[in-house]
Amino acid sequence: MKVFPDDLLYNREHSWVRVEGELATIGITDYAQENLGEILAIELPEVDSYVERDEPFGTIESAKGVFELMSPVSGEVLNVNEDILDDIGIINSDPHDTGWMIVVEMKDLEELDDLLDSREYHDFVIKEAEGD
Amino acid sequence: MMIWRFIPFKQLSAFENMAMDEAIFRENQRRDSPPTLRIYSWSPPSISLGYFQETRNEVNVSACSRYHIDIVRRPTGGKAVLHEHDLTYAVIAKEHNPLFTPDILGTYRIISGCIAEALSELGITTEMSVDGRTSGEESLKAACFSSPSHYELLVNKRKICGSAQVRSRGVFLQHGSILLDFDPVKTCTLLLPQHGNREKQIEKLRESVTSIYEHIGSEFSTAKICHILQRSFEKKLGIELVEGGLTAAEGILMARLIKDKYTNDKWNIEGKGALHGS
Repeated sequence: MKVFPDDLLYNREHSWVRVEGELATIGITDYAQENLGEILAIELPEVDSYVERDEPFGTIESAKGVFELMSPVSGEVLNVNEDILDDIGIINSDPHDTGWMIVVEMKDLEELDDLLDSREYHDFVIKEAEGD
Repeated sequence: MMIWRFIPFKQLSAFENMAMDEAIFRENQRRDSPPTLRIYSWSPPSISLGYFQETRNEVNVSACSRYHIDIVRRPTGGKAVLHEHDLTYAVIAKEHNPLFTPDILGTYRIISGCIAEALSELGITTEMSVDGRTSGEESLKAACFSSPSHYELLVNKRKICGSAQVRSRGVFLQHGSILLDFDPVKTCTLLLPQHGNREKQIEKLRESVTSIYEHIGSEFSTAKICHILQRSFEKKLGIELVEGGLTAAEGILMARLIKDKYTNDKWNIEGKGALHGS
């Protein structure tokens, strides 16, 4: 089974968040990238736009289909990872680190309370894989 | 026995077809709705593009205009498809529906099994491709039917049915196009990159794509083929398809998606402003 870093929080749509003060760096989990397979294209929001919790912040196309990416938090997009736009394979090869997607300035830190820690997310994906 | 909604065959515009499918998909994300099967065709004839395709790199827009072909961008992935002599299906269901398997490709395999059953009843034996679509494809890359993908249906290695998906919030929408007839010359004019040897491109399409009429002629009416497809889904999945229309919420969302998204060149041509319909 995958190892999910302890310093990240996770939503049930397989996105992760790294929190530093009011800044949230967001990406997709190793479990997600493995299920999606080879990622071929990505669409991310523009800097200065807003993302809403549990609403799509981007879209990915892999060899298997198109997938909407659900934001774990709400806020203003401060940065977008240009490196993955140049080399999309990074999302598959290093999803929890250099494969990050956007940085958001959170508008409500209490939204973090609804996210899962690494242990809870680990249990969630095991249950999801079994339940499917 | 699990009940699915079946939306009876209708011929609609590209914009109406895509808006209806997306409205059902979005509403299914919000409610505990039963799965839905639609079977439909397109009038006027249209080209549908995959979500991420660059229109001007993939489609001869001026030729489409000359032939009065509408262009629409699908919410699903994959490549461009000419919808002139085809039947399109849409399946909308929860990812965790017990009829489907946990892996994404399992959905393709199971739905292709239903289509294969119908084609078999028509007297056409198919096999399923197992290759995934990759970024390395070169010539003929725009046309969906020129490159078999995961669990798509082939007759003697020639594609007869292609499919594509979108997933969000635990729901999937799978589109597929079953060819009734195929015109490689027209397809080459409308879809393929306009460089390289045109004759070779046409020949390659002829070799890699087939249709129902090529094998059994046009003796079966569209209504009859739809009926066989409907029965095959019921038989293979062990479900009962009950005819129904859109809910009020789906109808309202469909109208909004037609107006704001699917008749908007910003979406159809530029692929911008993904207007998720939520």
